[in-house]
Amino acid sequence: MREKGVEKLEGCEIRTEYEVFEVFVQKTQADPHIHVGSVVAPSPDMALVTARENFLRREQAVNIWIVPRDEVHATPYDDPDWFAREFDRKYREVGGYSENGRLWKRYRERAMHLEDIVRDLNGTPAGNSGKRDGGKGS
Amino acid sequence: MIMETADQAAQNPGCRRALAELLYQLADDELCLGHRDSEWLGLAPDIEGDVAFSSIAQDEVGHAVFYLGLLHELGEESPDRLAFFRKAEERKNAVLLEQPNGDWARTMVRHVLYDAFDDVRTEALVNSSYRPLARGVAKIRREEHYHLLQLKPWFIRLARAGGEARKRVERAVGEVWSEAGGFFSLGDEEEEMIRSGLIACGSEELARRWEMRVKPVFDEAGLTWPGLPPAPGKDGRRGEHTEDLTELIRTMSEVVVTDSAARW
Amino acid sequence: MNHDERHDRFMERLERGEKIEATDWMPDEYRRLLLKLIHMHAVSEIMGAFPEKEWVPKAPTLKRKLAIMAKVQDEMGHGQLLLRVAEDLAAPLGKTREDLIDDLIEGRVKFHNVFHMGSPTWADAGVIGWLVDGAAIINQAALLDTSYGPYARVLKRICAEESFHMQHGENIILALAGGTKEQKRMLQEAVNRWWEPLIFFFGPVEVTPAAQRMIDYKIRTKTNEELRQQFFNKYIPRIRSLGLTIPDPDLRCDEKEGKWIFTEPDWKKFGEIVRFNRGPKSQERIGLRRFAHEEQRWVREALVRSREKQPV
Repeated sequence: MREKGVEKLEGCEIRTEYEVFEVFVQKTQADPHIHVGSVVAPSPDMALVTARENFLRREQAVNIWIVPRDEVHATPYDDPDWFAREFDRKYREVGGYSENGRLWKRYRERAMHLEDIVRDLNGTPAGNSGKRDGGKGS
Repeated sequence: MIMETADQAAQNPGCRRALAELLYQLADDELCLGHRDSEWLGLAPDIEGDVAFSSIAQDEVGHAVFYLGLLHELGEESPDRLAFFRKAEERKNAVLLEQPNGDWARTMVRHVLYDAFDDVRTEALVNSSYRPLARGVAKIRREEHYHLLQLKPWFIRLARAGGEARKRVERAVGEVWSEAGGFFSLGDEEEEMIRSGLIACGSEELARRWEMRVKPVFDEAGLTWPGLPPAPGKDGRRGEHTEDLTELIRTMSEVVVTDSAARW
Repeated sequence: MNHDERHDRFMERLERGEKIEATDWMPDEYRRLLLKLIHMHAVSEIMGAFPEKEWVPKAPTLKRKLAIMAKVQDEMGHGQLLLRVAEDLAAPLGKTREDLIDDLIEGRVKFHNVFHMGSPTWADAGVIGWLVDGAAIINQAALLDTSYGPYARVLKRICAEESFHMQHGENIILALAGGTKEQKRMLQEAVNRWWEPLIFFFGPVEVTPAAQRMIDYKIRTKTNEELRQQFFNKYIPRIRSLGLTIPDPDLRCDEKEGKWIFTEPDWKKFGEIVRFNRGPKSQERIGLRRFAHEEQRWVREALVRSREKQPV
């Protein structure tokens, strides 16, 4: 079915109505773009302008993407098997290694976690990290 | 001489007078235009554009509030009193901004011409000797930048579309041109404004810089440049206005005048 | 899969609490009911901008002026979000934004009764923000767990903004209620004007067949009367605490039944207002929308046309 709002003229497709653009907003440069909704607009540049006020009247952001609806390819919702994950995949998750804590105890040490590393890199002066780590064990 | 506070500005009566004059021009331009813009609420040609244009209206009124606040610091009345209770002849906005909107083409034409002017004017204020003004203007310029970004495409697209839209744009340019020259006037205090370093240049230079901004937009829109607009019949900066402003003030203050002592 | 099987599978999805999406298969009846509901919701937001918009140029302080501008802008923004949801539902029927607005102008879609009424004083702007929005918020919050995913998502966004509207409306009201004799009188008169339309706003007491189908499809989960009672619970004590009178001498709380007894509004009168656009302001406001949509079609057409002419 041909989309409404598009007409054929001398063999070319001519748009006669506004087009749907999906809107993605990036809050900070440490964040990914997140889909927030859509606008209809006569062209991509106008869509960018109206997207700002239609979706960012209060929130801050650093970037907006708009994408013509027709260019979005998606998985079907009504085929849940697309996302089937029936068997145990703990081996690829942190939770699959909970025994590390118990095993380290034999060596009088604690299991190490990424969060600790990030925290120590950000907060604690060099040289203190070991002390803090040890002091926290319980 | 750099003035950090209202008290410092008040020490030189001539300078204070020029500063107040300048602030009234800024405040009244923004208040009039913001008020007119808000009349489009619910009536713009598409819903998305309606929402977007309303933000511009809010920005303009917000800027007026800032300038009126500076006036209040100088010892003038409260921002609300200044906004709602001054008579037409006490107001310093350019006459073009008090006029009714007309159609969407005229609204866009007037806005783009004004935004370009405000860009030039605020540029001449970023190093103002009155620091509270300079600091505020730096913020305002960031918002105004977005206005031009949003409205310039409207202007150019409508003109380039040909047909009825182009005719309307051409007619609007013709209509507003006779009053657009009113932007550049700095009123009776122009010399003092420049002498005290409140603004970096005078009205002739503002007009020249404005032309450099606007002419390329006309080129892009495929419109003939009409030349610099003539000096207007009524100089709003000297308190000369039309019935349109009287009507605007009457509407704006319709509720508050019913009891000016009440809290609203 | 034949139609009945598809329908059964669809109902099973609803039973499991799954959300339905625009691209999913759905029964025609589900699509029709949803579209009718969301289309009406969308155009009500857009028409709802007008009664308050009248007070934007006249707002009595700069702060009020900015706040009411922002509020009306939000209403238009909600209209935009809801229209997008309605447009995607209507797309398989060959309808676009243009058609959905045409439907409003031609009277093929209804909008809420409250937006057919006049708002002759500043206090009306306050009461709309306080009570009309309050009623609308209860309605919308009750739809947050609707079975249609796209509707649920925009309602989440809308409800977040409505919380600002509640504060805005209350703030205007509190200023008037604590103000001069004249301001109090103005406020009481506005409450008198809006009470009956507000009772009507929630719809008939009995569950109509269409309303029952919406409940079956989990489009909505609460009945009109449950929502109206919720509104009474929340607002009657507050209205009274401000020293205002509610214009219903028979209004009382039946402690035993745990519900409010009220005088029913003139169902016929308001029904006709909504059905035939025969309210005091219906035609004037539809005229405003006609101006925006029809008389400015040249703007939209020009923008689409000049895109084609854009140098690449």
